[in-house]
Amino acid sequence: MSESLVAVMTALADDELVLGHRHSEWTGFAPHLEEDVAFSSIAQDEIGHATAFYRLIGDLTGTDADQIALGREPNQYRNATLCEQPNGDWAYTLARHWLYDHADDLRLEALEKTAHAPLSALITKIRREERYHLIHADTWLKRVAHGPVEGRNRLVAAVTDALPHAVGLFEPYELEEQAIDEGWLPVASKDLAEKFFDAMTEALDRLGFPAETHSRPDQRAEFVASSSGDLIAGEGDGAIGEAESASAAAGGRRGQHTAAFDSLWEEMTAQFRAHPGATW
Amino acid sequence: MSVSTRITHREVLQALSAVPDPEIPAVSITEMGMVGPIRVEGDRVEVTILPTFTGCPAIDVIRSDVDAAVSALQGVEDVVVNLSFEPPWTVDRITPEGRAKLKDFGLAPPGPGGPVLITEIGLPKVAECPFCGSRDTVNENPFGPTPCRALYYCRSCRNPFEQFKPI
Repeated sequence: MSESLVAVMTALADDELVLGHRHSEWTGFAPHLEEDVAFSSIAQDEIGHATAFYRLIGDLTGTDADQIALGREPNQYRNATLCEQPNGDWAYTLARHWLYDHADDLRLEALEKTAHAPLSALITKIRREERYHLIHADTWLKRVAHGPVEGRNRLVAAVTDALPHAVGLFEPYELEEQAIDEGWLPVASKDLAEKFFDAMTEALDRLGFPAETHSRPDQRAEFVASSSGDLIAGEGDGAIGEAESASAAAGGRRGQHTAAFDSLWEEMTAQFRAHPGATW
Repeated sequence: MSVSTRITHREVLQALSAVPDPEIPAVSITEMGMVGPIRVEGDRVEVTILPTFTGCPAIDVIRSDVDAAVSALQGVEDVVVNLSFEPPWTVDRITPEGRAKLKDFGLAPPGPGGPVLITEIGLPKVAECPFCGSRDTVNENPFGPTPCRALYYCRSCRNPFEQFKPI
């Protein structure tokens, strides 16, 4: 069993599970019926992907997938803070959906070349399904960006809020260097972070969004090594305390979550905690 | 193991051809191309199922139906049902019979058939209505009641219908 491989898969799975949970909160409440169906279906896909990742982890560790998914304490989850943010308004939901699915596409494309064959095969399958999420996100982003001014303004605000957390999707995994050395992780997170940021800013420029949307320093967070050797978010000047506060993005990959995660965790794991070992 | 109870690959496949897709009961899992490698070793049978979608909620039902169908074969003592994404299930695995049955069930078959490259994945602008055959149809939603279906509307016969997503 490789601990670094488990660490990478745990982060991927937790992202999908937690965002899937947020998406599922639109079931019955979306602005119109077709989007109620769409977000419910996307939620089902994401939670399905999480389940498949947890099963691969279980194959390595001998742990039941449900136990991994729902049987941990909040600080043991490794999802990026983007995924746990409340749905907010429709604009925030769309901005997050768009940022997340483009980030996910980049990292899965890279990770398809992992040395762990079952993970590579699973990612090949998942990437084909994710095309529909990307098409959906791109369609909605354009629709709202080119629509009436209130929607566009809300979308600009939403992207501005969500982008620092989205960069946090590329906070290095625990044991990342080991994962790279062992061949599980073909591309370092910091390289993908740059690629992601460039692709997103280019797309936002094309939509004519104001430069302030994507020019704050915390949105351009870089990840530097702390004295303990952990990789953390920072500006590259070694001022760790300052650097951490400069980026809301950092922390998820080390189990440091925002306040929003507590209530999400309570609800998501309530059934599992109330009825240990229950099946249906 | 006696010669008279020797289980053949063909018998296993035949048993599996009676297992329906729980969400599209008109079509069997063999017609859907969901059956991967089958291994028979003495009285032990190992079947690999390829899920159509990773998060397909019907998978657990399919697993237990496959287990029951193969266990019912004479001479089978032990059945193992694996899930695999290698190779990934793709729509070109659906047999011509399967495609015809999807259409009869009211579900437009995915695209013209043949492999779909990842860059080509997406919904056809025009889908053929499974009820009246018209191509005057419109996509209402790329998502539907299950991960594998999209929603369309036929302007000719004014029926809503579903399209199996090209994947």
